[in-house]
Amino acid sequence: MAATTTSTVYINVIEDVVNKVREEFLQSGVDEGVLSQLQALWEHKMMECGAICGPIERSSLPKHPGPGGSAITPVHDLNVPYEGPEEYETPTADMLFPPTPLQTPIQTPLPGTSEHSMYHLPTPSDYPTPQDSGGVPEVKPGRPSPYMASFDFFVVPSGKRKREDFPPQVPRTGYIPQQDGAGDATYDVFQSENLVYPKQSTILKLGKGVVNLRLGCEEIHALKQPLWLFFASEDYNTVNTPAGHELHATTPAVAAPTDQGGDDDDDEPPLNENDDDDLDDVEGEEPNTQHLVLAQFDKVTRTKSKWKCTLKDGIMRINSKDILFTKATGEFDF
Amino acid sequence: MATFELYRRSTIGMCLTETLDEMVSNGTLSPELAIQVLVQFDKSMTEALENQVKSKVSVKGHLHTYRFCDNVWTFILQDAIFKNEECQETVGMVKIVACDSKLLTQ
Repeated sequence: MAATTTSTVYINVIEDVVNKVREEFLQSGVDEGVLSQLQALWEHKMMECGAICGPIERSSLPKHPGPGGSAITPVHDLNVPYEGPEEYETPTADMLFPPTPLQTPIQTPLPGTSEHSMYHLPTPSDYPTPQDSGGVPEVKPGRPSPYMASFDFFVVPSGKRKREDFPPQVPRTGYIPQQDGAGDATYDVFQSENLVYPKQSTILKLGKGVVNLRLGCEEIHALKQPLWLFFASEDYNTVNTPAGHELHATTPAVAAPTDQGGDDDDDEPPLNENDDDDLDDVEGEEPNTQHLVLAQFDKVTRTKSKWKCTLKDGIMRINSKDILFTKATGEFDF
Repeated sequence: MATFELYRRSTIGMCLTETLDEMVSNGTLSPELAIQVLVQFDKSMTEALENQVKSKVSVKGHLHTYRFCDNVWTFILQDAIFKNEECQETVGMVKIVACDSKLLTQ
């Protein structure tokens, strides 16, 4: 019977934990009575939620579940004197003493050595330190040395720094002046534009070929409007189809405020909370799922919408019953 | 021995956590020792599942959500059917959380 087996395993685990921490308790100068108290409280809670069968006669049969082990597990054992004030579900200890990174076991399995060599990325600490070379490091510009990579980080901002203010599309190392039409700009003009109005220069680039640098501030502002709505479109009512407006935005006509009315045929209301999927909301409060499977996966595969997985060493809490498994196969359709 | 903290969310793990919580709160136990107990539980539970459990289970259902993050798979199934040698259980919604078994064998 599954329930009995689960109960047996649980009792063995409690026994094992108690035996193996005993040494630690004694070393810390904690009375063994505390350990017994821990065990008693733990077992009571387990019986209360029906996860183990009582009574446990451990003193006489330390390695076996006792006579009660063969009984069918009651959901709530009323013979147990313990009356826990708390609900079983409340995870309070996690908040009280969250596992510190040092003692978090999940940290330990993550390989420090094998993966490190595979995905080795040079970090500043991997480079030879100045002490290694026995003196002040000297960077030779013509020759790639380990210092070259990290040298960039220590460059004092100078006049050259301005180049980094260019939009990302412009290569950092070489400026390509625009010479293809109305948007022609000389290097100096463009650069000064960049320094003073970095945002606007980006917009000018987007509308290149149409907008030129002679646009006054107001015109730029007017042009900025639809583009702004496109990129950070918070106001869904003003622009419904950004793709269409993107094209319009590059023509001067769109700068006129008359275009704001929107000539879209799309009568559908903008996205709002009514479009939310109800199931997604449920999923947002995930811990709501009372049925839980905790396991390790060996393999997870997917073919189109068919998912297959093999799990091992799992604990399931299904319909208030605990079931343990050594192997599980899952077939899901998405 | 490498272990997962995963099983602390099971019934037995939650009962232990609550017990430790109470004992730390009333000053019977130091938080350091409590963490030692939890770490030992991680080990003991993993060993027990490896050595004492023989049962096999099959799961079928509609996959509502899947997620793979930090080597942990999370599946949320709807109308799932669990079968093992003895019984069959049906649930409307179930969450499966699975860590990568390879992390333990390294």
